[in-house]
Amino acid sequence: MARSKDITIHVPRELRAYCKGASELMLSATSVRAVLDELERRHPSLYRGICDDTGAVRRHVNLFVNKDHMRDRDGLDTALVPGDEIIILPAVSGG
Amino acid sequence: MPERVILTIGTKKGLFVAQAPKSRRSFALNGPVGSGVAVYSTLIDKRGTPRLYASSCNPFFGMKVLRSTDLGKKFKETKSAPAFPKDDGRALANIWSLEAGYDKKDLLCGVEPASLFRSSDGGDSWEMVTGISNHEHARKWQPGNGGLCMHTILRDGNRLHLGISTGGHYLSEDGGQTFVAANQGVGAGFAPDPYPEFGQCVHKIASHPAAPGRLYMQNHGGWADWSGPGGPRPNIGVLRSDDHGKTWRSIAEGLPSDFGFPIVVHPHDADTVYVMPLEPMTRACPGGAPAVWRSENGGGSWKRLARGMAKKESYFTVLRDAMDIDDLRSPALYFGTTTGQLWIGRDGGEEWSCLFDSLPPIHCVKVAVI
Repeated sequence: MARSKDITIHVPRELRAYCKGASELMLSATSVRAVLDELERRHPSLYRGICDDTGAVRRHVNLFVNKDHMRDRDGLDTALVPGDEIIILPAVSGG
Repeated sequence: MPERVILTIGTKKGLFVAQAPKSRRSFALNGPVGSGVAVYSTLIDKRGTPRLYASSCNPFFGMKVLRSTDLGKKFKETKSAPAFPKDDGRALANIWSLEAGYDKKDLLCGVEPASLFRSSDGGDSWEMVTGISNHEHARKWQPGNGGLCMHTILRDGNRLHLGISTGGHYLSEDGGQTFVAANQGVGAGFAPDPYPEFGQCVHKIASHPAAPGRLYMQNHGGWADWSGPGGPRPNIGVLRSDDHGKTWRSIAEGLPSDFGFPIVVHPHDADTVYVMPLEPMTRACPGGAPAVWRSENGGGSWKRLARGMAKKESYFTVLRDAMDIDDLRSPALYFGTTTGQLWIGRDGGEEWSCLFDSLPPIHCVKVAVI
C-alpha cells in the first residue's frame, strides 16, 4: 500500500493543550494504528488522552475515519489513504 | 504572612480551595479548578514551600495530577501522571490517594486498580512500586463498590501502611520494598471465611505521629445480621491496632452502626478518634440524623456529636476521604457530604455549622494550617 503523506487529525478542544494548541495535525500514516503510534512519538501527552496504559483507545473516546466510526470499519487496522481525516471526539455522556 | 487554614475540597465537578484566618470565622472559596472533572484525592504538602496537589480524574481523557505553588490560586498539570507499563495489562482508572513521601519532593500515589506509584520530583515523573503493585495477591484483589482502590498511604519511618478496598491492610517494614498482608482480626462480611488473610474491604486507616504503633481502621461493617456461611459478624467495622497493624481488635461497641467510611485521629491526642457511622444498606445518616462520634479513650466508649446538625430528614453520605481535622490548639473537624455540604465542627466537634451548602458532591476534604 502506498504510504499516505497527508492525513489530517482533528483534535478536540479538551486535548489541544497537549499539542501546543493545534486544532489539526498533519502526519503520514497508512492505518489508524499507525496514526496513534505517530501521535505517541510526537505528542505523548496527547496520546495519553486518547489511549489508556494498555494502548487501547479510551472507553469514552471515539475515533472517526472521515464519517465512519473506526469500529464500523477495521478498528485500529482501518487503512488510510491520502486526504483521509481522523476525528477525535469524546463520547456523548453526562452525569 | 499570618498563618491561614487551607481546605482542599475535591468534588465530582472539580477542586475547590477554601481559606480562612486561624479564627476560622469565615472561609473564602476559590474554584472550581478543572471544571467538570472529578477530584478524588488532594495533598497539602507542607514540606518546604507549601504545595497543593490534586488528582484530576477525567473519564474521557484520563488521569492527571495538578500542582499549585501559590496555595491554590493557580494549578498546573504535572509533566505526567502515574501509568502502568504498556505490557502490564492494567490501565489507570483513578487516582485515590496522594501523600508526602520520604524526602522533600518525594510523593506517593495510590491508584485504581490498586497499585502504588512513587515520584521523586514532585509529581513530574512516576515509577510503579512493584513490591505491592505486583504483590502475589494483587491479581486476586476484587473491586469494592467504589472500585479496586488504594486509598490509604501512611508512612511511619521505614514502615508503610496501605489500605486497599478490597484487599485489606498491607504493611512494609523496609521502606516499601516488600509488603505483607496484615489483617489479623480484620473481619470480612462478604466472604465465606470471616477472617481471611487478605481481601477485606478496608475503608480507611488513620494513625497519630506521636503513637506510631497505634492505628485505627474503619472497615466495611454492617454484618451483625448476616445469616450465611460463617454466621453473623458483629462489630467488625471499627478497629484498633497497637502493634503497627499486625493485629487488630474491635472498638465498635457503643456506636449506632459499625459501618462508615472516614476515620480521623485528634492531632494532639492519639486516644481521641472520630468516626461517622452510617446505615450499612443506605450508607446514609442513621435515622436521617447525622452525627460524628468521638472516643476519647481509644475506642473504649463513644460520644455522639451533633450540635448544630440536622435532627431529621438528612440522608447524605460522607465518603472515606471526606473528613479531616486541623491541628490548631482547639482543633476543628471538617466533613464534606455527597449532597455538597461542607461542615465544620469547632472545638473538637462540639459545635457544628455548615460552611458551604451547595457544592457538587464532595469526594475528599483535607485541611492544613500554613
